[in-house]
Amino acid sequence: MNPSVTIRRLATGVPGLDAILGGGLPEFSFNLISGPPGSGKTTLAHQIMFALATPERPALFITVLGEPPLKMLRYQQQFSFFDTARIGEAVRFVNLNDELATGDFEQVLERITLEVAAASPALVFVDSFRAVLLDAAKSGAQSGNLQHFVQQLGVQLSAWQATTFLIGEYHAPVDDHPVFTVADGLLALRQSVHRNSMVRQIQILKMRGQATSPGVHTFRITGAGIEIFPSAVVREDSGNTADRSLSPARDGHRMSMGVPRLDAMLGGGLPSGFSLLVAGPSGAGKTLLATAFLAEGARCGEPGVMVAFEQTPSQSLNPAIDDMVRAGTLGLINTRSMDLSMDEIVHHLIEMIHRMQARRVVIDSLSGFELAVAPNFREDFRESLFRMVAALSSLGVTVLVTSELEDRYTDLRFSPYGSAFLTDAIIVQRYIEINSGLTRVMAVVKVRDSAHSSEIRQFSINGGGIVIGDPLQGYEGLLGGSPQHATERPDGAKRRATAPLL
Amino acid sequence: MTDTSEDARRQAIRQALSRSVGTDSEAAALAAAFFGLWQQTAGKLEPVIGARGVDVLFGRALHLTARRFPWLPTTAHGNSAASLYVFQTCLAGRSAPEVSDAGETLLLAFTGLLAGMVGESLTGRLLGAAWTLRDPDTQPQRQKQA
Repeated sequence: MNPSVTIRRLATGVPGLDAILGGGLPEFSFNLISGPPGSGKTTLAHQIMFALATPERPALFITVLGEPPLKMLRYQQQFSFFDTARIGEAVRFVNLNDELATGDFEQVLERITLEVAAASPALVFVDSFRAVLLDAAKSGAQSGNLQHFVQQLGVQLSAWQATTFLIGEYHAPVDDHPVFTVADGLLALRQSVHRNSMVRQIQILKMRGQATSPGVHTFRITGAGIEIFPSAVVREDSGNTADRSLSPARDGHRMSMGVPRLDAMLGGGLPSGFSLLVAGPSGAGKTLLATAFLAEGARCGEPGVMVAFEQTPSQSLNPAIDDMVRAGTLGLINTRSMDLSMDEIVHHLIEMIHRMQARRVVIDSLSGFELAVAPNFREDFRESLFRMVAALSSLGVTVLVTSELEDRYTDLRFSPYGSAFLTDAIIVQRYIEINSGLTRVMAVVKVRDSAHSSEIRQFSINGGGIVIGDPLQGYEGLLGGSPQHATERPDGAKRRATAPLL
Repeated sequence: MTDTSEDARRQAIRQALSRSVGTDSEAAALAAAFFGLWQQTAGKLEPVIGARGVDVLFGRALHLTARRFPWLPTTAHGNSAASLYVFQTCLAGRSAPEVSDAGETLLLAFTGLLAGMVGESLTGRLLGAAWTLRDPDTQPQRQKQA
């Protein structure tokens, strides 16, 4: 028999929370939910309570000053998790305003103890605990007494075999309060407003006895309550191919791009599991290429998912995309929100990849993506891209990312984010001037560990899609935008024409 | 708040008062029954929304009730206990129908305010058995029975 205690983990009912807690909430733990006003503390507490409370495992929600209980009940009812039918037997609310009004916080403790003894709850919530402490401090209570009070409460509640939560406007980890030492778990919520976007974040600063997911995770509050988007963690690769159980990807299989002659340029198609960056100026045909890639997947029985940021509500999507969505071969995430986090997008994307059993993913485009994420995240956009590509790579999907790249004829760039190294393959599209007209050209810049064409091919777009032509032979300086004929000299050597070809 | 749920509360008040006074329709007995029901109501709510929450709602309910009964005080007096005392004093010397009407109106206004804040369903849950609020869906049938 194993003599060590087994701690049961409770499923909190908050999407994403159990994952960042490291598998749920330890039973009989003493937790602190901290955060500024409006950060979602009370909502989080209610959501956990309604998920866990049953007549056999009742919950006691104690309100102390803070938000008036009438208001709290009024607004919490707006969430779908609030189940009026469970109030009474499974959930009981108690207000300790009157006890606190006496200024004797020992009396508050006594009342809490009495209520807990009477109801034998499995879950106890005290909201807002900060109010108790502030009030006690104002009444002249010594910090030693406060510490004693908090410790007593923590110990007492734990001894009652209850999982307890203190909800308060603490500013962890700045606050140097004994409650931080006593608590088994610290859940810190915060929100920040930048321009017209608001970002909500949660961090598990502490959870005794289990490994939590480090870092800051974003969350959103909707009518269903709080949904947390655990940040994509880049898994370490041991180099052992057996570790890649999720990845059917890099098996040598090549995927057709759906554009005649492009597969040959890539050396036989895009290797499965690769990420491909298609960079080019506006109107060059990036989305069309991405659509062809998805349509080819649909034809081959490889469902796809597309994250689109480019379309405005008045524009209809590409008819081919519409058809694939209707046929169920393509999942579409079309967002125009301006306050997303990378983690939220990745969360929805991964969810859809699993649902569609997708093999091909298109993100169109990085430029739109950057606009869609809240300003707070733009500084870390490159790092976030790295995490996203790594997360998608671990799923074994083949990813095509488009990137708006204005033509510059003085330097050669492939990505506005310096992120070209993140992808396994790169196709670049450009406009060049020939005979007073704009001509599109395309080249394969890189396919990792694979031979590929280095030719610059002219291409056009017609009703059938992208048509790749022959290499532009006999020209020099194509990437300079104004190519010149490389004419033959009488001695057989080539020389450049002195004037641009118009 | 719908008329149906207001009717349900009205019926609940009448039933509760009727259970308390029986066939005795004396003004004093009606007043006593009303206070008994009020104490039950306040006793159920105070632990949940606090005495201050009850005071605030009672003060507003009294203000609304006084519009129909000019002989009632129009403002609350400190807390609900003090206001209730003033209300009780005002009832003295009134006829049985007046006491019944004013008491019912006050309780109806109070529960209406509560239902407006937290909804009919939660109001029913909070007030519990003392009130036995009826399910609005079954109301027409019950009204017929009444």
